[in-house]
Amino acid sequence: MATPRKLRCTVSEILDHGDRVYTLRLKPEFPAPRFTAGQFLHLAIDPYDPSAFWPDSRVFSVASPPDQRDGLEILYSVVGRFTSRMEAELRVGSEVWAKLPYGEFVVAALPGTEAALLAGGTGVSAFTAFLRGYAACGGDDGSRVHLFYGARHPGLLLFRGLLQRLALARPTLRATFFAESGAAPGQGVEPGRLSLAAAWSALQRPAAATYYLSGPPAMIRGLGAELAARGIPPERIRVDAWD
Amino acid sequence: MDTLDPRRRQILDLVEQYARDKFGAPPFAADRDLVHYAGRVFDGQELRCATEAVLDFFLTANRFAERFEADFADFFGAPGAYLVNSGSSANLVALTALTSPKLGERRLRPGDEVLTVAAGFPTTLAPIVQNRLVPVFVDVGIGDYTALPERIAQAVGPKTRAIMMAHTMGNPFDLDAVSAVVKKHDLWLIEDNCDALGSTYRGRLTGTFGHLATFSFYPAHHITMGEGGCVIAAGQSAEELGRIVRSLRDWGRDCYCAGGENNTCGKRFSQQFGTLPSGFDHKYVYSHIGYNLKLTDLQAAIGCAQWQKLPGFIARRKENFAYLRKALAPYEDRLVLPVATPGSDPAWFGFVITVREGAGFSRTELQRHLEERRIETRALFAGNLLRHPAFLDIPHRVCGGLANTDRITESTFFVGVYPGLDAPRLEHMAEAFRGFLKKR
Repeated sequence: MATPRKLRCTVSEILDHGDRVYTLRLKPEFPAPRFTAGQFLHLAIDPYDPSAFWPDSRVFSVASPPDQRDGLEILYSVVGRFTSRMEAELRVGSEVWAKLPYGEFVVAALPGTEAALLAGGTGVSAFTAFLRGYAACGGDDGSRVHLFYGARHPGLLLFRGLLQRLALARPTLRATFFAESGAAPGQGVEPGRLSLAAAWSALQRPAAATYYLSGPPAMIRGLGAELAARGIPPERIRVDAWD
Repeated sequence: MDTLDPRRRQILDLVEQYARDKFGAPPFAADRDLVHYAGRVFDGQELRCATEAVLDFFLTANRFAERFEADFADFFGAPGAYLVNSGSSANLVALTALTSPKLGERRLRPGDEVLTVAAGFPTTLAPIVQNRLVPVFVDVGIGDYTALPERIAQAVGPKTRAIMMAHTMGNPFDLDAVSAVVKKHDLWLIEDNCDALGSTYRGRLTGTFGHLATFSFYPAHHITMGEGGCVIAAGQSAEELGRIVRSLRDWGRDCYCAGGENNTCGKRFSQQFGTLPSGFDHKYVYSHIGYNLKLTDLQAAIGCAQWQKLPGFIARRKENFAYLRKALAPYEDRLVLPVATPGSDPAWFGFVITVREGAGFSRTELQRHLEERRIETRALFAGNLLRHPAFLDIPHRVCGGLANTDRITESTFFVGVYPGLDAPRLEHMAEAFRGFLKKR
């Protein structure tokens, strides 16, 4: 993996998805170091002084693809002090600092394997870069990838249009969406919370699949426990979780 | 950020001005000045960057190291680059990485064989011995000073697992032949690229053919940090090898946080390793028996300034080589002049000469003549390493004899082509050669 590099970035765009969920687009002063889909960055709002230590920061999955190193994209939902500051202080043109890449949450979509990506809310950002690359490969190499993505309501299923297009681009990729409320017939969104039972029944060989979990801690804990109870060994339960 | 502090700018401007006054070279005087075989070539930018790092006073690897590693990795198209404190350390870390338990059955184990040459620098060989592996030596050619391709294929035995060789003097070894052997026998390949930053083979940079490649930034090399080196990894195992290299460099630890950082992985207290209790502080979990081979940000800052000059440095080395090649061409009946490996375009490290048998003079006589005229000469490193006290008793195997390597020990030396050699110095060198050879 590349050595993480600290980059001064300018906020180039903020998309407000409602319900205090945002997409943040950053323009780094230098191209970002090489990274792998699924890796994350540390974002600092306060200035970084190279003679001092790295300021207070929070981690976010890089949602933009690895070949797009002159622009970075992250998703965030306002859930605590740091993200409240982001919401209150960041505007287009604001200067922030990012350091990346970090993490080893890398989806392995190998021939003969099935990968189940279970995403809740902004946790989908850990998968978007991978899914873009996977769909771009096209064809059928014997791998199978199935995204199960849940949000509070259909409007918060970020990237839904993109993900649907990606699934159409490669027959080995499927995407199933869940909304806790507001799902209407014909939207392609299943009503209710993302559940392991739903994912299990949709997979070809659920007992042999590898599961990748990204989302709120409670979701990860719950799904992780259910997977363990169904006999999935720890090495096939990959979790994008931080202390 | 205090880099905008006007006092800082004033200091930096003064440093640059000082550098111009202090280090601006006076014209060459043949009766006074040494013609070095190598040396640092720099201007105010190096001092400016070094001062920036001093004013940061972070000391350990920081923004300059990050910048250098990013630029270096991009240059080679590698996923990452890992700075270390010397080219020798780079060799040690690279070879040791192949012994990592994390590689499972692919790891090198004590007693496994590594193909190499004996005509080289000791720290290409030393890590093989230090890791209790067995070096297998093949002879080199006179003129290109790289491994004889047919010998490489012959030398592979049932215990051979890797090849580790240098692109000696910047001249790429036969990468077609070596790559074929690597592929056929599923071997690891480490390119010791310490002498060859910017050399190409069939249009592709050396250092990108092997699983790992090493670089040196000692002042004699293509760019310098004073002391410094780097490792890059390529191919399907690059990410895995990169993590191992970093671990070995950084005390053997499993955690990859930079100095002064905590919990950048976000899993500092939520993992379990070895027989340690779950949640044991990841900063102090060790997955390798490692070293501390890191460099400082001051060194990296100098390297960042040097990096901008690399294309010019490479071009100058090639020009100087071409000048000497032309100047000495009339004496090829007595001197073996250096030749590039077919398909290669070397960023030459030096100009290697072997005195032909029956030339009527010895290497030492010619060297003495040049040194008396203040022209530095060097042996082709160690000559035959197996004849040195440190290596007399190492377990090893030789394939096909080392006649040429022994001849190098007796009859070969090199002079410089580094970018600090300007036209007057080159003319002085050529004249000194002519003065000796015309009398013989």
